[in-house]
Amino acid sequence: MSALEYNGSAIVAMMGHECVAIASDKRLGRQAQTLSCDFQKIFQMSDRLFLGLPGLGTDVETVSNRLRFRLNLYKLRENREMKPRTFLNMVSSFLYSHRFGPYFVEPIVAGLEPTTSEPFIASMDLIGCPMITSDFVVGGTASEQLYGMCETLWRPDLEPDDLFEIIAQSLLNAQDRDALSGWGGVVYIVEKDKVTIRHLKARMD
Amino acid sequence: MAKLYDGRTTIFSPEGRLYQVEYAMQAIENAGTCLGVLAQDGIVLAAEKRNTNKLLDEVAHSEKIYRLNETTACSVAGITSDANVLTNYLREAAQRYVLTYQEPMPVEQLVCSLCDLKQLYTQRGGKRPFGVSLLYMGWDKHYGFQLYQSDPSGNYGGWKATCIGNNHSAAVSMLKQDYKEECDLNEALALAVKVMSKTLDATKMAPDRVEISTLTREKEKDKVKIRVLSEAEVKHLIGEYEKQQEKEKKEKEKERERKEREKKAAQAKK
Repeated sequence: MSALEYNGSAIVAMMGHECVAIASDKRLGRQAQTLSCDFQKIFQMSDRLFLGLPGLGTDVETVSNRLRFRLNLYKLRENREMKPRTFLNMVSSFLYSHRFGPYFVEPIVAGLEPTTSEPFIASMDLIGCPMITSDFVVGGTASEQLYGMCETLWRPDLEPDDLFEIIAQSLLNAQDRDALSGWGGVVYIVEKDKVTIRHLKARMD
Repeated sequence: MAKLYDGRTTIFSPEGRLYQVEYAMQAIENAGTCLGVLAQDGIVLAAEKRNTNKLLDEVAHSEKIYRLNETTACSVAGITSDANVLTNYLREAAQRYVLTYQEPMPVEQLVCSLCDLKQLYTQRGGKRPFGVSLLYMGWDKHYGFQLYQSDPSGNYGGWKATCIGNNHSAAVSMLKQDYKEECDLNEALALAVKVMSKTLDATKMAPDRVEISTLTREKEKDKVKIRVLSEAEVKHLIGEYEKQQEKEKKEKEKERERKEREKKAAQAKK
């Protein structure tokens, strides 16, 4: 029994044309038993910066709170929004500082640059090894299934509405093939001028 | 005689005074004025800017007004470097509270935590007190809109309207006369501008010499808005105040002329 597979999750982020999308399932379980179907795994850290946290539920909450603490102080001192790349480095060094007693989360960062609105997605392992990609990043117990779905469905320069369809289908079909994730889904479409949140109707099993 | 006892901060004088603390308050007497006014629907903080040197590089943020968290802001009077240390402490304290309790820190608790720190420097360590007084404005769900003042001794109080820094006693007496409890934000702004212009060093108040910020709350969104007014808005407020001054001056003139005429008429009758 691995700590990363105790609660179950499926999180995916995709790059679109001048937008990013990040989606997650909503299940919180205790191995086979499901406890909740509205557990939050994607956190809005800033105006156009989102953090997806697959992994152990308690660490999902703690890591998001501690990172929010640091991000808020940064914003107050610097008087500007933190860039996604900078945030990625902050998360990475935060996780590495617990190298020998790690938080059991494998974060996904998705957002738009504050000034240029350039899209950005990246993921990391539990001790902070970052990976920046230009297509999609996946995480959670359904990551293998998500890799398959994304590789098939994703194509470059998708407009926000198309991106929504692609990411929603990737998430739904991947989480249906994984026992530990599912029970609902939520998708955030992040564009320059707005953020759209849509909840998905999924198989509740 | 006093000099014998003010060498160390942690010592009382024979008369039971803490000289270092009093000297710290003295440091603030000469600092740029800051005043705060509490209204029914918001709070106004106005501060005098001292760094008006043209060579100073344009800074994005404000000089004297600091945002502490989502619901609180403060303005400082005194030694700037001390103020930076204290505002940093306040910001961290507010974030530590959110981390533990997952809700914004109530204003009084935030003020209290800093005042406990300031008091520590008047009793232990052999270090000098912080030469800063602060005015805090904030909103929380317990007491709504609040205005607090703290000084180097670690003492704090909740106020309806108050002033710190240069000419603060004159400003406070003016506020005492003109402050109305049921005022709204616009009336509070007008009052702040009026009192500010009377206490500033220069004869005329200009937008680049004063910083005004307001704290309001949008009930439907449950969001607190802390805003620093733009130069144009400050200019407009000053303009309004000057128009009001002109009007009052003209009315006084008319009164005076009328009284003169009456006097002359009375004398002529005799």
